[in-house]
Amino acid sequence: MDIINDTIKQQIFFRKELRERVYWFIKLRWVAAAIGLVGLAAAHLTGLRLPLGPLVGIVLSIIGYNIIFLLIGRRLLSTRPAGVRPYHIFAHVQISLDIISLLLMIILTGGLASPLLIFVIFHIVLAGMLLSPVSCFGYTFMVLLALGTLLLIRPEGLLHLETIHIGSHFFFHQLQHPELVISYLIFAMALVVAAYLITSVKVTLRAKGRELLIISKQLDISNTKLLALYEMIKEIGTKTRLQELMDSATHNAARIMGVKACSIKLLDKDKKYLEFASSYGLSQEFVAIDRIEVDKSTINRQIIEGSLYSIGNLDEEDYFQYPNDVRKEGVVSMLCLPLRVGHKTLGVFCVYSGESNYFSARDADFFSLMTDLIALAMEELSQSTAKTWFLNKTAHQLRSPVSAVMSMLYLLTKGYLGPLTAQQQETVARCEKRLSILRDTINDLLTLASENDESRRQPFHPVDAAAVLQAMTPIYLTQAEQKNLIFEVRAAADLPYVLGQERLLDEIFTNLISNAIKYTPAGGRVLVSLSRESVEKIVFKVEDTGIGIPESDLNRLFAEFFRAENAKSMVEEGTGLGLAIVKEVLDQMNGTIRVASQFGRGTTVTCLIPAQRRHGLS
Amino acid sequence: MATIPDILIIDDDRDLVNSVRIILESRNYHVRSAYNGQEGYRSIEEKIPDLVILDVMMTTDTEGFDLAYKLRRNPKYVNIPILMVTGFTQRMADLGPENFQHILSEDWPVSQFFEEPIEPEQLLAAAEALLKGEASYGHHQ
Repeated sequence: MDIINDTIKQQIFFRKELRERVYWFIKLRWVAAAIGLVGLAAAHLTGLRLPLGPLVGIVLSIIGYNIIFLLIGRRLLSTRPAGVRPYHIFAHVQISLDIISLLLMIILTGGLASPLLIFVIFHIVLAGMLLSPVSCFGYTFMVLLALGTLLLIRPEGLLHLETIHIGSHFFFHQLQHPELVISYLIFAMALVVAAYLITSVKVTLRAKGRELLIISKQLDISNTKLLALYEMIKEIGTKTRLQELMDSATHNAARIMGVKACSIKLLDKDKKYLEFASSYGLSQEFVAIDRIEVDKSTINRQIIEGSLYSIGNLDEEDYFQYPNDVRKEGVVSMLCLPLRVGHKTLGVFCVYSGESNYFSARDADFFSLMTDLIALAMEELSQSTAKTWFLNKTAHQLRSPVSAVMSMLYLLTKGYLGPLTAQQQETVARCEKRLSILRDTINDLLTLASENDESRRQPFHPVDAAAVLQAMTPIYLTQAEQKNLIFEVRAAADLPYVLGQERLLDEIFTNLISNAIKYTPAGGRVLVSLSRESVEKIVFKVEDTGIGIPESDLNRLFAEFFRAENAKSMVEEGTGLGLAIVKEVLDQMNGTIRVASQFGRGTTVTCLIPAQRRHGLS
Repeated sequence: MATIPDILIIDDDRDLVNSVRIILESRNYHVRSAYNGQEGYRSIEEKIPDLVILDVMMTTDTEGFDLAYKLRRNPKYVNIPILMVTGFTQRMADLGPENFQHILSEDWPVSQFFEEPIEPEQLLAAAEALLKGEASYGHHQ
């Protein structure tokens, strides 16, 4: 996909290897020089006749140039040149100098008979490790050429140098002696084989290295894709309408798969037709085609039946009824899967690419995962929409007759249908009262049932609890005044925002305050306050001097429909759902509620609501 | 107002239609009724009423709104005041038109919402205000 990036990555990888080897080489040379010096000393002590002066000179020069290499190496380490070239040149210089030093020492210690000859192999191995195969063989042949020349011109003769004792017989015979030539040829063969082995091992290692790089890159890509998928699922999870969810899904899928277009086709109720429900990157004309009859479209039927559909090149095969339409969209390859949850098929999900054979097996696996997650999200939303629809319908069906009956009763009580006797008037008033309680119960019940669904879908955001409380205060002030109660609201300044929704806070505040007012007799007092408990929590407290709750009833307080006996005797209306709603809402916001009460003296309800930390605000 | 105001009630709940009729006729208004959106539209075509009292949900959930939009888009009927009767007033006011985008495309098309059950005095006050031309295009209360 990204060739330039790939090459750079490979270079970085191999440069690192080369750099490490080059430094290792310098260290190795210290050891070699030390062993050389020790060896020379030992040879001297054992009385071997050697040109000690020149040999020591060579070893010292090795130490000398290694110091220079060390400095160059440090410089390379600090400047970190981008390419591999400086390191290559550095390696070449080192190996050339080493080989020259070694050849000189070989000449001085007996030419082809020198015991140092074997070290040539090590140098070739090193060259093979550090440099390209061509360079390695280049050095091999240069060394062989040098040794061959040595064989021909016998420099030790020219230089009048003493040869060491071992094998010195060889040098009294020249080329006429075949064993010398054979020995040379055997050595040459050994050297070439060594060069061949090391270079082929290295080539294999490089190939493996490259494979590893590719695998690591693929891992990177899938990791990025999975993260993007996670973000996408998080995003579509917040959608409250199926259309928005699908639009977000097609848009995101095209982006994550790196393709030009994406579409969702949905099956109709009878599973006979497919229709474009959402698309990204496709033209209006293409999407506007008539619904597709599943039985007549082989491709779509196969997809719905559950097989992955992947087309590498649309031009090569005859897949479509109207291939020109597809081609006009610039689509060359495509990948399709059924959107399925369990055995239920919702539709078909496709991605389209303008490149031929764009989708790999790995892409298909990933696409399959994505398709399943989208199908799940769609199904989940449809279920919840269906539930909301059902609740709204139920609400209407339950409320309509109650409202109609109440409207008609008003006609009676207000005298529109003629005057009523005192007894009739009283009975109708009782009917009105009972109906209004029924209506409240229905409303509360539906609130409780729909609470979950609606608010869970809406994201939480920072809410100014004090502002919500302030907004509702006037209503309760009036109510309290009518009942002749002292009503006070205190909100601490600079309260942190809570994480939730205005509506949820409203639900908590309304229920608790109206309860307090309802169950506090005239002359009493209701104190409402908002304060900070810690950085992470605020406290909402409602204290009243009302009738209180009997101790035996305290633990049943949050049960749905529960109303304490004394509450029933004081206030007739009341659904018993208020506190259950508050509890449900607080649960959603991760809040807690505590009720302290003294029978006959008053009740204090304390809610702890998680706040948004200050620094998150700005 | 010299002539007797003509009020059209459109609601599928006959009990409600009758109640509203009784209340309005007590003030000697001329009251006509229709039991669904189509019938209501035909009545309007026959004679433009001075006020329409309209239910939100009839055969379909949005039948009342559909009719209200139809009237608002027709220059002939755009000025008829509409009093929309609903059990959902508070809920709708809470949510606001932006939350009904899937069924609504613009502002509320009605002059005023009226909450069920119908309290006679309040209905008469609202009707009177609308007949006088005090169209608020806002919410009831």
